[in-house]
Amino acid sequence: MTTKPILLVEDTPDDAELTIMSLKQSGLVNEVVLAEDGVEALDYLFGRGKYEGRNAKDTPALVLLDIKMPRLDGIEVLQQLRADKRTSVLPVVVLTTSSEDVDLARAYESGANAYVRKPVSLAQFQEAVRQLGLFWILTNEPPKAPR
Amino acid sequence: MSSSSEKHAAEAIENAELKAQNARLQAAAKADRIAIDDLKEAQRHIEILNLDLEGRNRALEALNKELESFSYAVSHDLRSPLRSIHGFSEALTQSAASKLSRDEAAWLQKISDAAARMDRLTEDLLRLSRITRSELKREPVDLAPIARDVVHELRQTDPERNAVFAISDSLTAEADPVLMRVALANLLGNAWKYTGRRSEALISFTKERRPDQTVFCVRDNGAGFDMAYASKLFAPFQRLHSAREYPGSGVGLACVARVIHKHGGRIWADAKTGEGAAFFFTIPGEICVQ
Repeated sequence: MTTKPILLVEDTPDDAELTIMSLKQSGLVNEVVLAEDGVEALDYLFGRGKYEGRNAKDTPALVLLDIKMPRLDGIEVLQQLRADKRTSVLPVVVLTTSSEDVDLARAYESGANAYVRKPVSLAQFQEAVRQLGLFWILTNEPPKAPR
Repeated sequence: MSSSSEKHAAEAIENAELKAQNARLQAAAKADRIAIDDLKEAQRHIEILNLDLEGRNRALEALNKELESFSYAVSHDLRSPLRSIHGFSEALTQSAASKLSRDEAAWLQKISDAAARMDRLTEDLLRLSRITRSELKREPVDLAPIARDVVHELRQTDPERNAVFAISDSLTAEADPVLMRVALANLLGNAWKYTGRRSEALISFTKERRPDQTVFCVRDNGAGFDMAYASKLFAPFQRLHSAREYPGSGVGLACVARVIHKHGGRIWADAKTGEGAAFFFTIPGEICVQ
């Protein structure tokens, strides 16, 4: 099992708290790094800005990515991730409120590995996050680290 | 008579004819001028109408764009606080259950139930706007297999129920299969729901050929309704039954009506309280199959 952190990209503090709470409850011990918008997420992944000096080769185990965010939205983040060799195969799950077909299509077209709509019910949300965590951290065989 | 007076007389006649011809020509020219003025006037009028139409088109486009971004905002922004309300009240229920009185636990439950209800309402509202925004793609389609598929799904929700479905063999129409599935899922879903208290539910989907048109009909022997309120049937968020008796948000029939209206068809109902309901609709341009 990977002990690499999970990068949560979420601009709504309440949603971030509920997601972190649900991840903890699912028994995963991976550190959760919170980026509050797309720019911060890219800064973390590429070791710049606030994360200047962080080694970009230390990719997180999984990125949980919201779509609608200020500054840089999730789709743009995804496109920039896929365009960069260091993060081109990083597992990214879009975790969003939107059930709009256009978001679904754009997410997959931009290289998302999965798309999960956040349920309003906490119990359902916890179950969704638990399954996500278990699958992507325990079950799934991640891509080999880029050289 | 001398030849010169004959000549004069002939000239006079010719002159008179020329004058008459001239007068006719002048009259014709005047009529032409009037006609040309009329045409110019008409042309100006058409130009004004065209400008008006262009303006309206632009306004409609702007309105459509606004509707789209409105729906998008509803989908994203209205839901987020709902998840906070629901999520944290449930979190509180989970962590403080032993410390809460029965009343307090019930209040928390009411908060999260209300948030869940509002989430369903926003989802329904979005469904309705998705139908409005979607493009109509007509093709020859048999509604019977679509209906049977919907029925199969309904039966799975409650396999024990005693329900008889009668779906005609060939229910062809020139329609959008995706949108018609939405309409039939709602109509048959309603029939299924409102026959829930019958010992034997009878639900049919048929087609009648009337002199001027073909009419499709979904009929049930369920709870029915009072025709006095029939005008409210197809308006969104209008309900004729209490949520306690028959749950729902009142968007289903509004969705059906939008689908039928998008096809240029009509929809209407006939019912009696306690004796079932029948919903009729037409789809203009349907294909006749012998």
